Amino acid sequence: MFATTQWSVVLTAGRGDIPQAQDALEKLCRTYWYPLYAYVRRRGYSPADAEDLTQEFFAWLLERKWLGKADPQRGRFRSFLLTSISNFLANEWDKARTQKRGGGKVISLERDEAENRLTWQPLSYCIPESSFTPEQSFEWRWALTLLDQVMGRLSVEFEQEGKKELFDALKPCLLGESSTQPYATLATKLGMTEGAIKVTVHRLRQRYRQLLREEIAGTVAAPEEVEEELRYLFAVLTRR
Amino acid sequence: MEAHPVCPICGTPIVPGAPQGMCPECLLRAGFETKSGHKSTDGKSASVPMAAEEVATFFPQLEIMELAGQGGMGAVYKVREREPNRIAALKFLFPEKQASPQFAERFEREARMLAALTHPHIVTVYDFGKVNKRCYLLMEYVDGLTLRQLFRARKLSPRETLEIVPRLCEALQYAHEQGVVHRDIKPENILLDKNGRVKVADFGIAKMLNLPGNLTLTGSMDVVGTPLYMAPEQIENPQVVDCRADIYSLGVVFYEMLTGELPLGKFLPPSQKIEIDPRLDEVVIHALEKEPDRRYQQAGQMKTDVETILQTMRQREESRARTGPAPAARTARPAALVAEAQAAAARVALPPKPARRRSQASRSFGITIAIAAGVIVVFTVLLLAAFHLLRSK
Ligand SMILES: Nc1ncnc2c1ncn2[C@@H]1O[C@H](COP(=O)(O)OP(=O)(O)OP(=O)(O)O)[C@@H](O)[C@H]1O
Ligand SMILES: [Mg+2]
Repeated sequence: MFATTQWSVVLTAGRGDIPQAQDALEKLCRTYWYPLYAYVRRRGYSPADAEDLTQEFFAWLLERKWLGKADPQRGRFRSFLLTSISNFLANEWDKARTQKRGGGKVISLERDEAENRLTWQPLSYCIPESSFTPEQSFEWRWALTLLDQVMGRLSVEFEQEGKKELFDALKPCLLGESSTQPYATLATKLGMTEGAIKVTVHRLRQRYRQLLREEIAGTVAAPEEVEEELRYLFAVLTRR
Repeated sequence: MEAHPVCPICGTPIVPGAPQGMCPECLLRAGFETKSGHKSTDGKSASVPMAAEEVATFFPQLEIMELAGQGGMGAVYKVREREPNRIAALKFLFPEKQASPQFAERFEREARMLAALTHPHIVTVYDFGKVNKRCYLLMEYVDGLTLRQLFRARKLSPRETLEIVPRLCEALQYAHEQGVVHRDIKPENILLDKNGRVKVADFGIAKMLNLPGNLTLTGSMDVVGTPLYMAPEQIENPQVVDCRADIYSLGVVFYEMLTGELPLGKFLPPSQKIEIDPRLDEVVIHALEKEPDRRYQQAGQMKTDVETILQTMRQREESRARTGPAPAARTARPAALVAEAQAAAARVALPPKPARRRSQASRSFGITIAIAAGVIVVFTVLLLAAFHLLRSK
């Protein structure tokens, strides 16, 4: 149930020891670590430092000391993370490094994979990220991560119904009917009627929109913010 | 290394780490709602309805009063018949696909069956025919709102929902007994008149037009009708559905009335979204079974189940009225109802958010919506008041 997962739960729970809030926060960290890692890397830290730093940051985050600070208006998880990590880099990182809590890893960051994604830029001239500030980079990666999450959930839903192939064939249609794969062609390929394809695509699109909003809802403080955040993310993606 | 993939929609190269290898920008754009499902994503709109004056030239026997609404297949006008003198609704279909002789024959056959349906909860068909290669249906005019319009004004209470659904079941049961399957049960086709009476419109029209075979009218699914209410077997094979497809669609409408959402994907049972009798979950889920054989086999059975639950609800409310304080705001007090419906309309009237600084034009559009919403509120209030009156009798 998404309505009670995540960011709003963390905010309302405050510092009280509520296991759901801790779970929610951990889950959020696990999902959105990559934008943070990318941010830290773009701030000039080495891959090893970036990994350490991100881990320490999460450990600090999960202690939830920050929740005590008088600031009821925490807003969105996205902007909260960004503000927090830059404060962390400025103030906490040195402390944390000398203390070396050694509490082990909070979440598993696949560093190699992360590095791959960061450095493998064969067409760097067309990848907007290269011209971004670390903050913009964070936001851009955030939007990608969120979409990836949504598409992942959508895919799993189809898979659970034994329709993985159908999903893979139809997912490009989320963006609209393509000239290279018109519905008629897809229909023949999948042994369905054209009408059935259209209906399935329509449902796919509806479900996608729903999941997208659910995912966003998990990162904002109140449901009213969902549409606005959606537009913000779109602006982030179209930023050049 | 293989060639770098490019987005088929916008033509930009796809970045590494893109979600499922798809262009993130276009993907997010697809996430925005196309409003009310009546506009296609590419901006092409469905056929434009004729002006009342133009329609009048085809129907000398009718006085065309106004455009009452528009759907994917045609437009509906409020008209006055001269003989007999009465108000009626004229559904004038767009000319696509109607040229073939098979179509004419099917239209004739189906319309005759529809005209034979007489039931208090079914919109009566008075007449049908063809002018200038366009089919038309003349039917009972329902002075009220569609369930869709009601949804937009505000949420229905579970009690209201439970009063409406059995009437829909009755209408379906009757039609099914006459051998007519509706095929397009959805909130747009469920009308509520000023006295709170429920009327189902457009029985069998989908079959007449051989939908969804002609869902391709404009090449976009969003334009014509919505498949969101269709049973799985209807989607797979629209030609051979039976009454159980209607039961599924009614299940979708039922779920939406209760929760305000559609039962898409892995949906939660209604009782986990709102506070209701958990026995309702069974009814809704039974209607929404993917396998027609596992569904309710008759609308009448569904009606019985819903009414049993409604009965308990009524009794509980009565005993509460006798012993405790007044029942919840939703149930009776007209004042509360007015306030609440107004609040709902205020929500409807909110201008679209993205434009921070709105132009003069969009501001006046906002006002138009506000006025329209106002009208709907007044209507809703009247309607619900009537509804409560009827019920208390
Ligand atoms: N018998 C009627 N009396 C009064 N208004 C009606 C009647 N039938 C339809 N309308 C109005 O006209 C509108 C358009 O109806 P129409 O059946 O053409 O489209 P629809 O039901 O929205 O979609 P579809 O074309 O898929 O059936 C309805 O939403 C309703 O507001
Ligand atoms: Mg209709």
